[in-house]
Amino acid sequence: MKEVQVSSIREAWILCLILGLIMINFPFVHIFNSEQLFLGVPELVLYFFIGWPFSIFVIWFFVHCIDEDPQNTAGIVEDKSEP
Amino acid sequence: MSVISTKTVLFVSFGYFALLFLVASYAENRRKTGISLLKNSHIYSLSLAVYCTSWTFYGSVGKAATSGLEFLPIYLGPTLIAFAWWFLLRKMLLISKQQNITSIADFLSSRYDRSTALGAIVTLIAVLGITPYIALQLKAIAQTLTILTMPAMAFGSGLLSSSLPEGVDIAFFVALLLALFGILFGARSLDSSEKHEGLVVAVAFESIVKLIAFLAVGIFVTYGLFDGFLDIFQRFFEQFPERRDLLLLGTQQTPYTKWFTLIVLSMAAVMFLPRQFHIMITENVDEQHIKSAMWKFPAYLFLINLFVLPIALGGLIINGGDTTQADYFVLTLPLSAGHPWLALLVFIGGVSASAGMVMVSSVTTATMVLNHLVMPVLLKMNIHTQNLSRVLINIKRLGIFGVIFIGYFYFKAIGNSYALVNMGLISFAAVTQFAPAVLGGLFWKRTNRKAAITGISLGFILWFYTLLIPSFVRSGWLHSDILQNGLYGINLLKPLELFGLQGFDIYTHSLFWSMLFNLSAYLILSFFAKQTESERIQAETFVDIYQEQTPKPGQLKRISKAPTVIEFVELMSKFIGEKPAQAAITDFLGQQEINTKGGLSDHEIPNLKSFTERTLAGHVGAAPARIILDNYLSARGSEMEDVFDIFGTVTIDHAASREQLSVLYDAAQIVSSGGDFQKTLDKILELLADQFKFDLCVIRFLEPESMTLIVKSLVGSSSEHFGQFERNLNMETYIGQAFLSNTTIVVNDTANVDRPISAEHIKRDGITCLAHTPIVFEGEPIGILSAFSKTTKGIFTKEFIALFENLAGQISIAWRNDQQLQKLLQVREQEREMQIAKDIQKRLLPRNLPDLENIAIAGLCVPAHQVGGDYYDFIERNSLSYDLIIADVSGHNIGSALIMAETRTFIHARIQNVKHPAEMLRELNSFFLTDLDRSDLFVTMFYLQYNPITHRLIYGNAGHNTPLLWKKREQKIITLDAEGLIFGIKDGISFEQKAIDLEPGDILLLYTDGIIEAENKEKVFFGIERLGKVLQECDNLNPQELIDQIMIQCRIFTGMRHFIDDVTLVVMKVLK
Repeated sequence: MKEVQVSSIREAWILCLILGLIMINFPFVHIFNSEQLFLGVPELVLYFFIGWPFSIFVIWFFVHCIDEDPQNTAGIVEDKSEP
Repeated sequence: MSVISTKTVLFVSFGYFALLFLVASYAENRRKTGISLLKNSHIYSLSLAVYCTSWTFYGSVGKAATSGLEFLPIYLGPTLIAFAWWFLLRKMLLISKQQNITSIADFLSSRYDRSTALGAIVTLIAVLGITPYIALQLKAIAQTLTILTMPAMAFGSGLLSSSLPEGVDIAFFVALLLALFGILFGARSLDSSEKHEGLVVAVAFESIVKLIAFLAVGIFVTYGLFDGFLDIFQRFFEQFPERRDLLLLGTQQTPYTKWFTLIVLSMAAVMFLPRQFHIMITENVDEQHIKSAMWKFPAYLFLINLFVLPIALGGLIINGGDTTQADYFVLTLPLSAGHPWLALLVFIGGVSASAGMVMVSSVTTATMVLNHLVMPVLLKMNIHTQNLSRVLINIKRLGIFGVIFIGYFYFKAIGNSYALVNMGLISFAAVTQFAPAVLGGLFWKRTNRKAAITGISLGFILWFYTLLIPSFVRSGWLHSDILQNGLYGINLLKPLELFGLQGFDIYTHSLFWSMLFNLSAYLILSFFAKQTESERIQAETFVDIYQEQTPKPGQLKRISKAPTVIEFVELMSKFIGEKPAQAAITDFLGQQEINTKGGLSDHEIPNLKSFTERTLAGHVGAAPARIILDNYLSARGSEMEDVFDIFGTVTIDHAASREQLSVLYDAAQIVSSGGDFQKTLDKILELLADQFKFDLCVIRFLEPESMTLIVKSLVGSSSEHFGQFERNLNMETYIGQAFLSNTTIVVNDTANVDRPISAEHIKRDGITCLAHTPIVFEGEPIGILSAFSKTTKGIFTKEFIALFENLAGQISIAWRNDQQLQKLLQVREQEREMQIAKDIQKRLLPRNLPDLENIAIAGLCVPAHQVGGDYYDFIERNSLSYDLIIADVSGHNIGSALIMAETRTFIHARIQNVKHPAEMLRELNSFFLTDLDRSDLFVTMFYLQYNPITHRLIYGNAGHNTPLLWKKREQKIITLDAEGLIFGIKDGISFEQKAIDLEPGDILLLYTDGIIEAENKEKVFFGIERLGKVLQECDNLNPQELIDQIMIQCRIFTGMRHFIDDVTLVVMKVLK
């Protein structure tokens, strides 16, 4: 049970990393890459300057998840099936 | 445009530097008092912002004004990679702490078999990428100073003119100050793994200053010069509708590929730039700091970028779209708006950004140069001095000075070149080449040194060719021929269109080719090149850092002709100084087992070697440390030897191998199956000898009388001198020492034997190594288990000794079992004898009392134990005289039984000659006098003689309980008593003889004290009264029934089935 929880936090980190990479690259950013303004600000600029603090919040949130893990071992379970 | 006087700027600048020195000194002082400021996680997060150099501080706005959103990926990348810090950065951190790693070059070199070549290559790349970057920082300081004091000059001529007097160059002084700072706070000692509080806290302080400065100018521009963000965007779109592209991606300026490339480069840079590595890893004091840095550092980057677009767009609006000053909008906007003090704050922010980078980079680069370029050469030169540490620290200081001044000269020589201006990204691309080797090294055990060296080298060559060469051409140092026609006119070798790849920006093109070659070589060689033993060990150390480090098969080594502890200290002292060496060794020895000679045991020496190497690595880097140790050991003729392979898998802890557990299991099986002790010992020795190919195994046990160790079991070949020989107990032999000191003695190489007696035996039998371990029972040695090998040296590893001692423990258990078995047999024998005694005694009592017509008689004797001292008898002399005897011998043991038998024998022998009870008692007293005196026993007896014709009962008493007589006619109980002492007290005493006439129906009850002294739980005796009552109430019963009734009543009274004392009852009833 414990191991599942620990490795799931590690997997969450990797998932966020991959999601992040997708969300700030082509083609995903292409959605916002228009000349239109939203509330007077270009959509792309707004996307980055809202998405960025949001991702920082996500990190903050997950860090607190590690804090709640009493052994602080989140993310350290090594893949035993490594070559 | 308002200006500030040069004097003011200089005054403030140098004042700021003085403040930095103060902050750093304060931090150093705090460290000395034991309260390190580095324990604060904010300081760690802030110091990471050394990532933001003047290239960020000024360049971001410039980039935004000219290329639009292109500035963003440099900060989005680090935010993204922060997601991976908890498993990536933390792992790097743990490894670096464990291995005393000091730099990125050291990390890679250390991971890949402590390769000197790899360390040198990485250092070379870092130096190539970083010294121009330092130049860029110095340039920023010089240029902004000029802008601040003489704005017109700064942009007019395009030259770096100065407002200072002729010959005075501010950049020179700044370089000098920064070098001084680096030397003072970054090279305090040679130990690079030591923390530099002053340096880090100063950098953290600078991070605050540059953020405040940037936010200040951002707020000023956005809300002072304009009416907020929306106003800026609105006016920008109104004035420059054609520049809308700036706020889009996928444009000619910023294609998606370039965007992606920049993200990748910045992700790698924030991890692998030497200064980042230094701050993130070398200066980290607590891995928990990573957690807060994971969001604080991205938050810092977000804040410092928040106003980049407003300032850039605002600058464009104010300057009418002119981008020539774009790089310095942050400075020129407040200046032109008449706020010189704000501009001065920005200038100080810029200085902070530059200075932080230069300070850290110079220290890290100098460390890398010293450890990976200078040290290997120095070691090759084989300099013979007692103390190199002073020389080395000075070389390091010189290195810091050198790195900064090379940067300075770069700046003076090529200050305005394309190469220098773009150095930021070029250096990012350089360190990206480390990514495959670092990441692979962290998570993949199979990679090897060749793969890393080849990968990085190819990546480096491609980087140089596709990025550095074009920037040299653009700077005008190389002919543009190579760009247009390729190397030697080969089209496929055009640096910007390598192998015909077109349509990409310079960074994407370079990243693609360098990574393709780098990664391919790395992967292919990782798959196909073989790892050496030491590479494999290092790979496991890195990849399995979270797992507890247990010696693996093949990792067990010993050092032949090993240096002593003192020699290791001397070696360390030579490179790191005497004091640190002494401190390190004290620390080490505190954690080690010390053998009986006060030195380290044989298998601790390799640990000391690794420790020495790690300690040296902290000062001179991993690769040089290894060279130093290897040279030293080979000069002594010492060699690391593989420990005999079969022990490779032997460990006792949770990681115990199957083979080893099976040995212990088999031994336990042998012991628990019991059987002959000798066979058990033989089987254990056979198991030991078989499993580990010993030539001889012996078990000796102590013979307590002669105080010698006697061979109890022996397996293997031996001469009479060796295995079979008895051993005297003294400290002159190893076996004697093992026994007397109750410790295991191991001689892994008999060439080093220092006991003459042992040496003689060892030599005669050609023993190469041996071990004795005491067989201990309840803390005391009782014997010795010994093993000898004639073929292999150094087989007794720590793990094997644990197994060996465990086997000795099994033998001790077998010995204990045997001892217990012997005792048990003894007890059983005694019990059997007692049973015989019991049977005999039982037969001594009258078996069947005669059926007589005048009287009925019954008797019962219940011994408390197997044998007892109670006795009763009924002897029919003739038809006119029946003798009735009851006696009690004190105690209920075999002695009492013997006296009882003796009594019976005496009475039966003498009965025909002794007529009367008193006479019999007197004779018995005389007879017992001597016997009883010696045995501490005494005997009481009541002797009666009954004439069935006359019904006369005569009796005498020798201190016995007085019998009860139930007088049927009178319906009362009378007690029979007569004067007389117990037997064995006094000679010649006379016994009173009394007589009483009985009548039919009268009942005589004889008893011993066992019945009346039977007590219940309240400690109340059954007593004569209760006995009498039973007698009275049951006078109609026959004697046997009466006895049964008495026993029942007594048992009901006590509540127990058993009696504590022997109980004897005799009942005689007069019938007629």
